[in-house]
This record gives sequence, C-alpha cells and structure tokens, in this order.
Amino acid sequence: MSTNQDATSTLGLSFVGSMTASISHELKNVLAIVNENAGLLEDLALLAEKGRPLSSERLKTMSGNIRRQVQRADDIILRLNRFAHSTHEPTASIELGEVFEFTAALVARLATMRSVTVTVVMDAPVVVPLRPFVLENLLWLCLKNIFAVTQGERAVRLGAQSSDGQVVITLDPGEGLPLTDIEAQVVSEGQALLAALRSEVSVDHEHHLLRLSLPQGQ
Amino acid sequence: MSEKVLLIDDEQDFLDIMSERMQARDIDVTTASSAKDALGLVENGGYDAIILDLQMPDMDGLQALERFKAINPDLQVILLTGHATVEKGVKAIKLGATDVVEKPADIALLVEKIKKAHAQKIILVEKETEAKIRAILGSKAW
Repeated sequence: MSTNQDATSTLGLSFVGSMTASISHELKNVLAIVNENAGLLEDLALLAEKGRPLSSERLKTMSGNIRRQVQRADDIILRLNRFAHSTHEPTASIELGEVFEFTAALVARLATMRSVTVTVVMDAPVVVPLRPFVLENLLWLCLKNIFAVTQGERAVRLGAQSSDGQVVITLDPGEGLPLTDIEAQVVSEGQALLAALRSEVSVDHEHHLLRLSLPQGQ
Repeated sequence: MSEKVLLIDDEQDFLDIMSERMQARDIDVTTASSAKDALGLVENGGYDAIILDLQMPDMDGLQALERFKAINPDLQVILLTGHATVEKGVKAIKLGATDVVEKPADIALLVEKIKKAHAQKIILVEKETEAKIRAILGSKAW
C-alpha cells in the first residue's frame, strides 16, 4: 500500500468513526423515546389494574409516537447501511448532486449541533468518475472546519459546475468566515484525499466560497 | 414535599413523555428544549435537580453545566447522555455534575437520583442557614 493510500485509509477511518459516533447517538435518542413510551404503557397498565380507565385515544397516540420513532430509526439505519457500503465502492461515474445530498444527510445532526444547515444547490447534473467515499470524506473535512469556526446560525450550500473538462465544487457558507484558514486546514489535514481525487482547494474571496476543483475525467 | 426538577433536552417527544412519567411520580417538572432557554429558569432558581442532556444544539451539556454552576454552585445537575464516554463523564463530574446517566434511562434509577439530589440540596440549605445564624450570633453582643 502506498503512503497516500495509507493516509487516505487513516482519514477514512477517522471519518467513519465520526459518522458512526453521531449515528449511534441519534439511535440512542430514538431508543430513549421508545423506552419512555414503553414505560408509560407500563404506568398506564398499573393504573388500569387499580381501576383507572384506559383511554383508547391515548393508546393510539402512543402507538403513533412509537411508529414515528421506528420510522426515524429505519431512516438512520438506511443511511448507515449506505455509508458502510460506500467505503468499498470502486471508482464509478457518480452524479455529484447525489453525493452532496447523501453527505448533507449524513452530517445533518453534527451540523445542527453547530446551528448549521447544509443544503444542495445544483443547476444541472454533473457526473464525475470517482470513489464516492473519498469525496464524502473530503466534503466532511471541509464542512467540519467550517462548523469549527461557526458562531450562531449559518447555512452552507453545496454546488458544482463543469466546464472544459474541469469540475468545480463549491461550498458557500456565506460571509464572515476565515476561509483562508479553513483552506489551510483542509490542505494540511486532507492532502491525501485531495491527491486521491486529483483535486485542489482554493478560496473565491469575492463570492465567499471554498472551491474544490477536479478533472472531470478522473 | 415534591421534588422540583428542570428537564432540558432538545428532543421534544422525550421531554413530553419523560415529564409526564415524572409528574405521575409526584415530581414537579419544568421543561426546556435548549440550554439557552433554561438559563433564565435556572437564574430564577428553586430547582432540586436539573436533568440535562449532554449533546444539544447551540450550547452542549458541559457548557451549560458550567453556566449553571456559575449562577449557583450548589445546583444539583444530573447529566443524561446518549453516549457517555468515560472522558466526558469525568469532565462532567469535575465541572460539578452530581451524576451522569446513560440513555435510555431507567426511570426508577432517575427518580432515586433526583431524591438524592433533593436531600443533598436540603443539607446544603441547612448548612447555609446554620452559617448565617452563626454569623448573626457572632456579630451581636448579647
């Protein structure tokens, strides 16, 4: 294994760790709500044994609450499953909007913790041959460094455009962030990912954007 | 006398059902869905225990714990968490948390900890009152 592959694997492991820790926390929250609903059912059963009438409407509401949490857990598990499989997906032609949407969903909870929302704005589909996991990892690195310096509410928009065989991915966090510092941090931490994607990171100071450029034909 | 508890969690469903179960156990519960919202309530005081989620938007549990303790160092704060790492648990205790409980929590265990926190608060209030009486007695020439 080359040094760059080693570095990519190490970064990948750290990325998987961050995402699975966040997902396990989300699942714990779901379990806590299901657990309290089960507890409340027990409370109501005990009260019914003592003669207090059991309201069918109440039971229906609780059933709906549990069903909603099961649906929520199912969505989380589906996301985890897709993420797990993306780690060994080979290079293939990928529509960037799909990778952005998935990454935004994957990091949504961590973004919320920093009062940030991540949205995807694509004018037209952009297809690039690459390993989706490596791009997801690089996007996470950029977003993580944006989150780290964010104070108060902020929206980050992910987009991409292609022209003349070049693709430019943009992360638009709005005004007021130290984008040069974020760029330096991404270069320092994510050199192996940038190399694996033959990508370069830069700052568009005029439009307050972080740009990742990569060749359309990987 | 029923215990007065402030329950802070960003999951509204969790707040609703947990507060209902606590009320059924004669606990007087106030809820807040963020640490920021809870700050004003803590300033007004009167809680026997604060049950605080460790991970929340804006201000996490440890930051909130520091702010609450700055308002009142005697506050009894129980941290409720989805993933209690040993490191965070130790940090919470060092910052003055009374206890750290992992989600999903057993309500019987939580109620027991609330009652202990209530008892601890009574001891602290009694000590404070005793110190005040001693100070008054010491300052008067009877």
